[in-house]
Amino acid sequence: MDKIYSVSEFIDAANELLAFEIWVEGEISGFNISQDRWVFFDLKDGDGSKINCFMTAWTLKETIEDGMTIRVRGLPGIHKKYGKFSITIHEIKIMGEGALRRAFELLKAKLQAEGLFAPERKRPLPKFPAKLGLIASRESAAYNDFIRILNNRWSGLEINLLHTQVQGKEAIPQILRAIGYFNNEMPDLDALVITRGGGSLDDLGAFNSEEVARAIYASKIPTLVGIGHERDETLADCVADMRASTPSNAAERLVPDRAEIMTSLEHYAHLLGQDIEKKVRDAKDISYNAGRIFERCLEEKKRRLDIIQKNMVMLVSQFVDKTKTRLDFVLRTIKNLNPERILRRGFSIVFKDDKIVKDASMVAVGDILDLKFSKGKIKSKVI
Amino acid sequence: MASNKKFNFGEAFGELEKIVQQFERDDVDLENALLEFERGLLLAQKCKTRLSEIENKVKEIKIKFEDGIDKN
Repeated sequence: MDKIYSVSEFIDAANELLAFEIWVEGEISGFNISQDRWVFFDLKDGDGSKINCFMTAWTLKETIEDGMTIRVRGLPGIHKKYGKFSITIHEIKIMGEGALRRAFELLKAKLQAEGLFAPERKRPLPKFPAKLGLIASRESAAYNDFIRILNNRWSGLEINLLHTQVQGKEAIPQILRAIGYFNNEMPDLDALVITRGGGSLDDLGAFNSEEVARAIYASKIPTLVGIGHERDETLADCVADMRASTPSNAAERLVPDRAEIMTSLEHYAHLLGQDIEKKVRDAKDISYNAGRIFERCLEEKKRRLDIIQKNMVMLVSQFVDKTKTRLDFVLRTIKNLNPERILRRGFSIVFKDDKIVKDASMVAVGDILDLKFSKGKIKSKVI
Repeated sequence: MASNKKFNFGEAFGELEKIVQQFERDDVDLENALLEFERGLLLAQKCKTRLSEIENKVKEIKIKFEDGIDKN
């Protein structure tokens, strides 16, 4: 008799039969992330057929939405609890330039909103870098262009190359590893340069991946990214501290031009020479002038001394003259006050017992008084 | 030049620029100016020598990608 399966046994047996990885291409519909952990959507095609897809949120690296055509790699099987047939996805590839462009725009908007492109967080690169980290493919034209322009422009650089794949499946993990290596093992580098030539949006996929963009953003070493042609824009460019349009432009932006700096050096040496000559000339002028000023100062002092001396003589003689005039006046006044002169004018002085009589009540009848005239004295008696 | 190993172009160029600026501002006395002048010429000469003598060196770092996950 045929084997009778339990449900569980049947699902196990069926899953065993189905256990091989397949690639399926279709259009996304019903895209949904549950609890930030589980991703569900259907893949459908023009026939109206559809298949349920499931993956964990951390496996999902791409930015996808309904309507995009994608190719998924995964394992088909029946979910034991729900009995539902679905593909458990391991990898997604976005198909077509349109869908890729859309995914790029969505991720760009998300990172921009998070502030990963903010100009104020961009660090300046040193003007004269000496030690570089370089992430590139050693076989690429981009690498050769970058090194060629560097050699044309500048000397003495230590360039530490970490060769990685720059497209395909291995590119993202290798670039992440390289950024991590430089940051951990050589944190004193002046700049970290990441470069690649041009390509389709698909070719540049690694440099538009969220993981690489975040790793560049988090780099402690200042970053310079030059990817693709003039018109290409990648998310790696957007998050870099300095952005170059091409690999050659990255070299131009990284180091100054030897010829220009040589000219500056010549110019500086010339300026210094001119300045020092002028300083020496000035110093000579100063010592000559100082001598002249000193002499002039002495002359001036002498002249002032002469003036002061003359003034002194004048002042003294003036003082003497004044004093003499004053003395004459005093003498004259004193002469006028002499009582002899008053007597001469006809006045006489009356004495009683040798005292001058100033009041008639001082004398009585019979008193003997002495009268003094200008010339001579007499005695008289009061009657 | 034996000292080239330790010579830092950026620092030397920066110092030279500073000396030139000081001279332009004219606030150095003659004695110091002569010292600075000699220093400036030496720096300019060293920078020139450095620019004309030394090549860029590329050193390739080998790491195994197979062992996979980054240390971070």
